[in-house]
Amino acid sequence: MECRVLSIQSHVVRGYVGNKSASFPLQVLGFEVDSINSVQFSNHTGYSHWKGQVLTADELHVLYEGIKLNKVHQYDYVLTGYTRDTSFLEMVVDIIQELKRANPNLVYVCDPVLGDHGSMYVPQNLYPVYKNKVVPVADIITPNQFEAELLTGKNITTEKDAVEVMDLLHAMGPDTVVITSSDLPSRLGDRFLVSLGSQRKVRPDGSRTTQRVRMEVHKVDAVFVGTGDLFAAMLLAWTHHYPDDLKMACEKTFSVMHHVIQRTISYAHELAGPGRRPSPPQLELRMVQSKADIEDPAIVLEATVIS
Amino acid sequence: MECRVLSIQSHVVRGYVGNKSASFPLQVLGFEVDSINSVQFSNHTGYSHWKGQVLTADELHVLYEGIKLNKVHQYDYVLTGYTRDTSFLEMVVDIIQELKRANPNLVYVCDPVLGDHGSMYVPQNLYPVYKNKVVPVADIITPNQFEAELLTGKNITTEKDAVEVMDLLHAMGPDTVVITSSDLPSRLGDRFLVSLGSQRKVRPDGSRTTQRVRMEVHKVDAVFVGTGDLFAAMLLAWTHHYPDDLKMACEKTFSVMHHVIQRTISYAHGEKTHQEVFRHVCFVNGFVDGSVCHKNTSASFITLNSPQTLMCLFNILYVYIIFLCSV
Repeated sequence: MECRVLSIQSHVVRGYVGNKSASFPLQVLGFEVDSINSVQFSNHTGYSHWKGQVLTADELHVLYEGIKLNKVHQYDYVLTGYTRDTSFLEMVVDIIQELKRANPNLVYVCDPVLGDHGSMYVPQNLYPVYKNKVVPVADIITPNQFEAELLTGKNITTEKDAVEVMDLLHAMGPDTVVITSSDLPSRLGDRFLVSLGSQRKVRPDGSRTTQRVRMEVHKVDAVFVGTGDLFAAMLLAWTHHYPDDLKMACEKTFSVMHHVIQRTISYAHELAGPGRRPSPPQLELRMVQSKADIEDPAIVLEATVIS
Repeated sequence: MECRVLSIQSHVVRGYVGNKSASFPLQVLGFEVDSINSVQFSNHTGYSHWKGQVLTADELHVLYEGIKLNKVHQYDYVLTGYTRDTSFLEMVVDIIQELKRANPNLVYVCDPVLGDHGSMYVPQNLYPVYKNKVVPVADIITPNQFEAELLTGKNITTEKDAVEVMDLLHAMGPDTVVITSSDLPSRLGDRFLVSLGSQRKVRPDGSRTTQRVRMEVHKVDAVFVGTGDLFAAMLLAWTHHYPDDLKMACEKTFSVMHHVIQRTISYAHGEKTHQEVFRHVCFVNGFVDGSVCHKNTSASFITLNSPQTLMCLFNILYVYIIFLCSV
């Protein structure tokens, strides 16, 4: 498999977020991963302390220029995630547009990181950039419920709302949308959350078809960082292998997440000791230890196809 | 295995040098790799063009401070390679000394990159830093012949010279030395180069013993970049698994290099014939081409009193152990 991904995300010295979360799993699955580190921090910002440096939009452009001058700017995928700077994000969009001209089949996988649980955790001025510039050039997006609502201006209280929001997102650009988590009530009870996916395709005869799936995902009582980055990377991988079967791609992706998270929470509790809540360092994803699950995830949930 | 490595090397967007060369293989082998990127370049400097940014010694220190403030600065290994800046290198040494105070069992694996084929390709002023500050705190070093000669001030024209140079390097600090390549004549002819290794250990009774090994390594007619970085990382991994068996650690390490390089040169040429040849020749030992690390052993023992080597198996890689009667 000769598949080259350009991933533009954070780098942390220690731990698994951004490029640290995305690269190893994709490489394990045989993807060539070129990575531009948008920042270099000691660790993610959920620790007591963090220190490091950020890449400016100009520096990003300089790196891209280096790639272009060597005429090695052909990519099959671009992957982006958490960004805090509008000029940086706009430079990313410019680069993607140029890369799409170099390869019209390029697939841009975008996690439109804006916030969660009702509030934004990036600067407000990123919102119009995502809405007007980023999402329109994205092919696959992985918003959570808050981000999906924010981007479309429509609230989700029922599955029907979610389907309409995903259709609105399709209309903005991406043919594949996965709402990674929502507070819709799960059929399996309150220890589960609901995720949904929608993939729009054009049949050979020109007519359009949309496959929609719903996942009941087991909740874990802990705050993980980097899981969204891993999710987007694995969705890239599994939609690559199942481009016309969102159900299968989602089952694989959510199953990988399950294995990594289970391994992580078990180890975290072991480190923290009985009756204590694990700390952020203890909750770092057990990525390296999950290599076998990443390579060949045992399916642990069945996605339901919904109309 | 809970083993944490701090690797302070370059990052390239595209390609495999520095941390890009070292991290993935170590992670695949189950090591936790914390990586500080000393630079971020578009690609290595052997391409027609390259662009990017470098990390200053201060910025390095800031990153380390972040790790320390969170009290997560316990490492089992530190790994360093190509550096161009003396203040950066000195900051690296300071950090390593502090990490060794936090964990006295820390093993510092150092590729003392100075040059090759008779000339330096880093700034001259790095030489005294390596000689006086870096190598003394290193536990495992992977110099090439030029670097080994430069650091010790002694030339290598015979295997005996090489053994003496490795002993001089031991005296400077590191208990494990691998001269990754030399122009000593190979027993297998001019399509092979000679590598040597030496590991000094203290027995339970306090006496010292040195295991020395020699590898005849198949040459490839191409210039690869990043192979030294991969070598140092894999030597870290295999000495971790075989801390008292340099012969085995070297066989594993040189074998990985062989597989990666063969696959690379085949792909670069766009042909499969090389791989077929090796698959056939290696079949004798049940060697499966394409796998990362399989035992590929032919043990040969030489004592000081018997110059004849006893060869057990014919294979691509020959490893000779020289047991010395005295240390």
